[in-house]
Amino acid sequence: MYNEQENVTPLYRAIVGAVTRLGHPFELILVDDGSTDMTVATAIELARRDPRLRIVKFRRNYGQTAAMAAGIEHARGEIVVTMDGDLQNDPEDIGAFVAKIEEGYDLVVGWRYNRQDKLVSRKIPSRIANWLIAKVTGVPIRDNGCSLKAFRAELIKNIPLYSEMHRFIPAMASIAGPKLAEIKVRHHARRFGKSKYGLSRIYKVLLDLTVIKTIATFASRPLQWFVLLATPLLLGAAAAFVQGAISMTRNGVLPLPLAGSGVLMLASALIFLLSGALGELIYHRGDLRDREFARLTQSERRMDGVAESAE
Amino acid sequence: MPTSFEAKSVSIIIPVGGRCGDARKLYRDYRAGLAALAVPVEIVFVLDGPRPTFAAQLEELLARGEQFTVIALARSFGGAAALMAGVERASGDAILTLPAYDQIEPADIPKLVAALDTADVAVAVRSPRAAGPFDRLRRATFHRLVSWLIGPQFHDLGCGARAVRRQVFEDLEVYGDQHRFLPVLAERLGFRVVEIPVRQSAQDRFPHVYRPREYMRYVLDLFSTFFLVRFTKRPLRFFGMVGATTFGVGVLALAYLCIERLIFNEPLADRPALLLATLLVVLGMQIFALGLLGELIIFTHARDLKDYRVEEIIEFQTPQQDSSNESAPAVPASRDTALPAASPHAVA
Repeated sequence: MYNEQENVTPLYRAIVGAVTRLGHPFELILVDDGSTDMTVATAIELARRDPRLRIVKFRRNYGQTAAMAAGIEHARGEIVVTMDGDLQNDPEDIGAFVAKIEEGYDLVVGWRYNRQDKLVSRKIPSRIANWLIAKVTGVPIRDNGCSLKAFRAELIKNIPLYSEMHRFIPAMASIAGPKLAEIKVRHHARRFGKSKYGLSRIYKVLLDLTVIKTIATFASRPLQWFVLLATPLLLGAAAAFVQGAISMTRNGVLPLPLAGSGVLMLASALIFLLSGALGELIYHRGDLRDREFARLTQSERRMDGVAESAE
Repeated sequence: MPTSFEAKSVSIIIPVGGRCGDARKLYRDYRAGLAALAVPVEIVFVLDGPRPTFAAQLEELLARGEQFTVIALARSFGGAAALMAGVERASGDAILTLPAYDQIEPADIPKLVAALDTADVAVAVRSPRAAGPFDRLRRATFHRLVSWLIGPQFHDLGCGARAVRRQVFEDLEVYGDQHRFLPVLAERLGFRVVEIPVRQSAQDRFPHVYRPREYMRYVLDLFSTFFLVRFTKRPLRFFGMVGATTFGVGVLALAYLCIERLIFNEPLADRPALLLATLLVVLGMQIFALGLLGELIIFTHARDLKDYRVEEIIEFQTPQQDSSNESAPAVPASRDTALPAASPHAVA
């Protein structure tokens, strides 16, 4: 939550009301993303009366991904539900999410089918972005931006979340190959406070998307990816050399720029191959492995507790 | 807002680098300035590499029965390494770094320590500051560059007098020559940094002449800090931008050449422009690939990286009680151990 002083108490009441009805033990984590208003003070007052409420307070504003990651990190339950602190999601929907997880899904995402936001500045860019994300990552989700999501805690705690990754949590999680469900959620217009995001910069999303796609596909085999990059260059080099040889035999002169381009492409392809080798080295020295992700989704599941986390 | 804080003991760290004054006079002046502090003070000199004259003067002081610690580094590791060596040794909960030559009026030192009551880092700004027009321009340019590249606006990063709460050093690792940017890095981590005007020492008014190599190092440090702060988490943001631009220009040039070849029948193979266009395309791809390698490094180490710093975790075990019963958070075992423990929180 970032500067949501009017929303704290209604949000708390709504969540506690909705989750108590589910009959599971739960905890509620509020992540304060460096608010400068009365958000924390209000929350502390609530926490004083309710030991189920915990507040993770950031030193300054770090953004949504960090808040999400911190909430997930400090969650202790077996199911983690994330949602925004601005009351645009309806806590009444949490029950459906928990039920889906209990059915055996690893990851349940919300779809705001009747989104209450401005059409031009929010809905249309988001529609395009979602289409693109689904196409590129191959994770068919209609609404990546919806914060109301539920996870099996073991899965989400092991997915690296850093630097504005919150838009791509399902895509990142897809590294582990989770069983994924999407359910419709109600979406309300903001009651208090003002919205914190505007049109985000397109190039960032595009680059992040490239990263996630490459990492999800090739992280464990970087050499393959670099070979893929090197192939067109090798072909280009071959073409240039053949052309050079032809004109050599025909006119007796080797066109220097053509030959030069060929050499350049060949050299570059070589560097790509070596970079691939370097990538292999990095991957083997790193501390994330495919088999860890595989373990996340292959394990046997057993549910007996519910946790709750709200951002 | 940082929680209120009162220094119970202060450690003075004096990194001794290439530029150093007379140890005896320096020590006497600092001791006089520190006398006004009500808390116990320890002084640590860190010799960054062999400094025979300064070391001999320190020996002399020790022989006279003065109380301080000297840490000698076998070779010069840079100001930041000297600082960290001192911090490791220091036992105070407030750490005050002072330059090894007269920069500020020693009588103003307690002001810096007092500023820690409400801030995490207090940086001295020499003001009013004597400087020629060239110096002023050079300094203004440097600080503008810093604020443009990294963000926060500071006015005197060259001043070595800074008071820092110990907690800051638990989160902040500086290396090489980054000590100069310590306030900037601390602010990026969410600490509250204030600038405190202090009087400039009379000896510091004479302009110091820097060699070009030193300028070079300043600027390189600035750039390495810039990358560290802005792009370590997303290398592709930077490499991708540069690479895509290069690649794009190359592709446009190639397309133009191909169109000329196909439509206007200009010869392609012996045009030097072909070489340039190919070079740009290839270079762009390489830069992009470097960025992806960077991303791979980040991804495989994602568990150790944390974007955020938790100030405190607030929870109450049993309802309706006062502020004394907070417990440390139960951190899931699978995640890191770098998490700052919940600090005691005073609820009004």
